[in-house]
Amino acid sequence: MPKGTGVLSGRIWLFGDNVDTDQIIQGRYLTILDYSEMAGHAFEIPRPEFAGNVKRGDIVVAGENFGGGSSREEAPHVLLELGVGCVVAESFSRLFYRNAFNIGLPALIVPDITNSAKDGMTLELNLVKGAVSVVETGQILHGQPLPRLMLEILRAGGAVPWYRKKKRKQS
Amino acid sequence: MIKLGKTLAEKLLGTHTETGKASAGEIVDASVDLLMVHEVLGSRILSVLEEMGVEKVWDPERILVVNDHWAPASDTQSAEIHIRNRRFVRQQGITHFCDVDCGICHQVLPEMGLVKPGDLVIGSDSHSTTYGAFNAFSTGLAATDSAIILATGKCWFRVPESIRIETTGRLPEMVMSKDLILKIVSDLGSSGANYRSIEFHGLTIDSMSVASRMTMCNMTVEAGAKCGLMTVNDAVRDWVSIHAPSAQWTPTLPDTDAEYLETIKIDLNSEPLGPIVALPHSPANGRPVSEVEGVRIDQAFIGSCTNGRLEDLEIAARILKGKRVNAGCRMVITPASRDTYLQALRSGYVETFVRAGAVVTNSTCGACVGGHLGVLGPGETCISSTNRNFRGRMGHPDSKVYLASPATVAASAIEGVITDPRRAA
Repeated sequence: MPKGTGVLSGRIWLFGDNVDTDQIIQGRYLTILDYSEMAGHAFEIPRPEFAGNVKRGDIVVAGENFGGGSSREEAPHVLLELGVGCVVAESFSRLFYRNAFNIGLPALIVPDITNSAKDGMTLELNLVKGAVSVVETGQILHGQPLPRLMLEILRAGGAVPWYRKKKRKQS
Repeated sequence: MIKLGKTLAEKLLGTHTETGKASAGEIVDASVDLLMVHEVLGSRILSVLEEMGVEKVWDPERILVVNDHWAPASDTQSAEIHIRNRRFVRQQGITHFCDVDCGICHQVLPEMGLVKPGDLVIGSDSHSTTYGAFNAFSTGLAATDSAIILATGKCWFRVPESIRIETTGRLPEMVMSKDLILKIVSDLGSSGANYRSIEFHGLTIDSMSVASRMTMCNMTVEAGAKCGLMTVNDAVRDWVSIHAPSAQWTPTLPDTDAEYLETIKIDLNSEPLGPIVALPHSPANGRPVSEVEGVRIDQAFIGSCTNGRLEDLEIAARILKGKRVNAGCRMVITPASRDTYLQALRSGYVETFVRAGAVVTNSTCGACVGGHLGVLGPGETCISSTNRNFRGRMGHPDSKVYLASPATVAASAIEGVITDPRRAA
């Protein structure tokens, strides 16, 4: 995330409710050791055009329970690999949510976002305040501000740098 | 302020924090008793450890490494992952290692006596909720958190709020704990227990076998739960005395005045449960079997960490004895572990299966993850005793998976269409 500001903006890729981990990255690709190769299969089942057309900074917007199912960290990782700036959903599965922050991909909860956001429109968001606006319609929605710990992990750049920082402080 | 009692989740996590306490909603650092990692060690965790600069794991006796998802290796990539896991086990002197001959992590971990009541067990797999059946707090995490635990033995947790489910009454003949958990997951919805602990109580649960309890805790994650917890019963006492005879433990009970978000009561005597089948593409799509009877199937699969245990194979063998798998479909049976396989051999179940025309494979996650040994092709339909029927889960994106109990799967294999197992009895 841009240091200090927590402000992002990008094109919306809209998804529905219950996008499970097999829709984000299918189990059969998990033995691929290289993330950039694996990322070519992101959202292959629901939106096969995604991996070829997504641009750096684009924002994935989804309904309820995004990322349910497997613990696979590969799910947020392929999105990060493709340059997705943030995932905004009405709710997340606990594993996807935690995994996303762990690798430095912000995940924001915004109720009713799928009623306002349209595919291809532009979303502006403030991670600290939890506020988002749809640029084309000017509509502003208020989500949940990021919990302190998640913001701390995100600001560090993910759980590994966060862990190293914590360790340095202790020693 | 009135001091409220503690739930099972709060108590079990609380004994692993520095303060000895944990309250719902708070974030705590907790010490882990055991970490289980599978192929994700070789594919993802090792590079995270390298990035962290970790040279030695926190405790080589508190780690279990399992090669189970693609066992034995199904391609050169999984073979390479297995090589990395073996090398890591050697280099770090890891005590507990299951190579490709052992079986599925969630079955072998309890068989090896690595979980006892009161423990905090973490696995690099979402179905690590399974060990709640042993009165342990257990949940799944992924690569980065597993790496941090490998390095420190600790992890942060948000202490979950709890949903209490009290079940009384008997499961009728040919109706299994799988049917009960499919009903519960469907009632809750696929995100109905997100971030929460499901606490199971009642005489039905108290009188269940360890295997039946494991099936239920295993599938709590399909409602989004962080964990599924049970209190100790006689079956668990027996299990622990056989598999971990020297373990010291005390049972944990929730306080009588513990606070729950919701209490759900299920009375199987007043509302008898029949076989449940979860329709594609969600485990929360459970319907009475009568609504889908007659749906044609290409494959019937029994196996996985959910339903590949001895009692699952026993009921399938009872149904398949002297019968033939329908010519219009194939049947694949994957015992959950080598021990399960051996017991099934001794009991004659394997011979029954082979004579019926089923393919019996070695123990692996295999078909359940669409990995190998039973992958579905385009347009195919499978009835499966596994835990997930997401689109593409068991193979081609245009295949369909119906989840059911091993009894329903076996009865359906004979008919070639989804069948109520009560008619096969």
